[in-house]
Amino acid sequence: MTSFLAIGLVLAASLVIGIYGVRAARTTSDFLIASRKVAPGWNSMAIAGEYLSAASVLGLAGLVLKNGLGTLWYAVGFTAGYVAVVALVAGPMRRSGAFTVPDFAEYRLGSPRLRKLSGCIVLVIMLLYLVPQFKGAGLVLHLVSGAPYWVGVLLAGMVVSVSIAAGGMRSATYVQAFHYVVKLAFLAVPAVYLIVHAGADARAQALEPDRGAVFREDTVVEFNVGTRLEIPEPTTVAATGGESVPLGAGVHDVAAGEKLTFPAGASVPRPAGVPELGGEEWSRPLLDTGEAGSPLFGTWSTLLAITLGAMGLPHVLMRFHTSPTARTARRVAVGVIALLGVFYLFPAVYGLLGRVFTPRLALGEASDTVTVVLPAEVVPGAPGTVLTALVAAGAFGAFLSTSSGLLLALAGGLSHDLFSGSVPRLRFAVAAGTMVAVLIALPAFRLDINVLVGWAFAVAASTFCPLLVLGIWWRRLTLAGAATGLTIGAVTSTGAVALSAVADLEPGWVTILLAQPAAWTVPLAFATMIVISLLGNEPDWAEHALLRLHAP
Amino acid sequence: MKPNRRVRVTSPQTRIALARRHRPGQHLLPMPAPADITGARAAFRRQRRIALATMAGLACLVFGTSGLVAALPALDRLQVAGVPASWLVVGVALYPLLLALAIVHVWRAERAEQGDGAPPANDRLRHG
Repeated sequence: MTSFLAIGLVLAASLVIGIYGVRAARTTSDFLIASRKVAPGWNSMAIAGEYLSAASVLGLAGLVLKNGLGTLWYAVGFTAGYVAVVALVAGPMRRSGAFTVPDFAEYRLGSPRLRKLSGCIVLVIMLLYLVPQFKGAGLVLHLVSGAPYWVGVLLAGMVVSVSIAAGGMRSATYVQAFHYVVKLAFLAVPAVYLIVHAGADARAQALEPDRGAVFREDTVVEFNVGTRLEIPEPTTVAATGGESVPLGAGVHDVAAGEKLTFPAGASVPRPAGVPELGGEEWSRPLLDTGEAGSPLFGTWSTLLAITLGAMGLPHVLMRFHTSPTARTARRVAVGVIALLGVFYLFPAVYGLLGRVFTPRLALGEASDTVTVVLPAEVVPGAPGTVLTALVAAGAFGAFLSTSSGLLLALAGGLSHDLFSGSVPRLRFAVAAGTMVAVLIALPAFRLDINVLVGWAFAVAASTFCPLLVLGIWWRRLTLAGAATGLTIGAVTSTGAVALSAVADLEPGWVTILLAQPAAWTVPLAFATMIVISLLGNEPDWAEHALLRLHAP
Repeated sequence: MKPNRRVRVTSPQTRIALARRHRPGQHLLPMPAPADITGARAAFRRQRRIALATMAGLACLVFGTSGLVAALPALDRLQVAGVPASWLVVGVALYPLLLALAIVHVWRAERAEQGDGAPPANDRLRHG
């Protein structure tokens, strides 16, 4: 109930701020970029608010719990991406005067067809990103209220699309700045409170590397999907019907839907394909994706995908056009780095405490929920309920602000780049985009939030990143080069992750190359653009278009 | 112009795209050359040098620290205020360094722009 109230308050405040921000969205420019009247401080906060999605608020803590400290590199990559944005794209993108990435593509290379191709890639990236946000919203509502998953998804879709369709980017700016504060406060305050109240014993346990996890009390673990468990020592568990089942040390298969009750003090079993909770692999801050036995490669590939992917995210780039000058755009991006750095100190707290208090979440494919579930486990009673409400409201804020930014970019892609832009059509595009995302999110209950978000980053890194970097810094980029590179980057990155999601592959190099494709798709896209461009000749005015991007 | 008046801003290529709605297939008009092409080239090269330096710094920072963590397992054992040092490096220490790198870049890029003597073109547009 308290959680509902808190989420309701965040929703109501968002709507009020959104309506206050409506004033008058009269032209396409008002709608998409707030007519460039947004102050730098607000803009930094709005960008950070938009960027910190369900993947950061819910997903990151869950990843730390399930896969260990190495997943903190995701957060580093999310932040490092902004250093690349400051250095390479923020200023020139703003000077180009383009609203969207496809707009920029047409400015630099002078082809409406390239604009359409880029518009299609925007749609792919935005949908990949939007679906997990709706999933997060449905999950949080389901957890705190027991309401069916689809209610949360529908409700979230309605609130976001109404607020955006009415107010456009101007309202989104203030709503998103508000959401940054909500997210930071509602994650940081409970985190500090939990650290203080967890007790010295639990704190020491959470911080000690190489110490396996045990159940603190009799724990019911619900298995949503069939799971292969490695049991470290013989344990007697109670099965669904209440009968005692002795499990010897070794590998056991648990069927989907089964509930096992582990006794207090039993070691937490290890699901196949995941490092042992608190084991050496878990506590080393490196990412061994796909268990290829090369953690450094996994770490670097992830860093590459996320750092370069952040540079190519259309909804983030669009935000820089709300700055009055290129100089302000750059400074806004620096502000974002500071705000992200502060926020990313906290998700790890939930992951680390989660290993001590709620190790069961790492077993039942529910690790995404650790941020919301943890407070009540650490602090029972009324304070726990209030903390849960705060965290849930923060998570909902994360979902709201990110999805409103995504929807704007999606609407921009649909109406501005693929068709012609007018405000009624943009509003229609927002509604249509929401509907598609909600429809995909409804059956996506089992999908891991971070898989989809990581996918969006990989596609952005393999398509728009080379287009922007070469378009801004290399005179000789040609239309043929850009178009071929975009196509190859989009096909390989989407294909690789789709294959790794669908096919059941053995751990090894093939798996890691498919699950983290950026390490080869990004260089491939760059190389294609460069080689094809060198084969042809750029038009005479290409250098003028390039120089204008850097004119102080 | 009154400070609070809302102005419609449309990028040139958007205007062209909108005007061209019923005549597909036409290409962008040739972009005019900047007034001082030698100066513009020099400014571009200066900015590119600064950007390359920052990107090199970024690569050293993130790949370097992850390499360090991989090369020195001792960092996991070394405790700072009760927390393993390698956790602190990844979870805390990198963020101020990334921020510092970005601030230095902005400082250098803006100084390079001021070196040209002319006021920023975009500011002129805004007040014009």
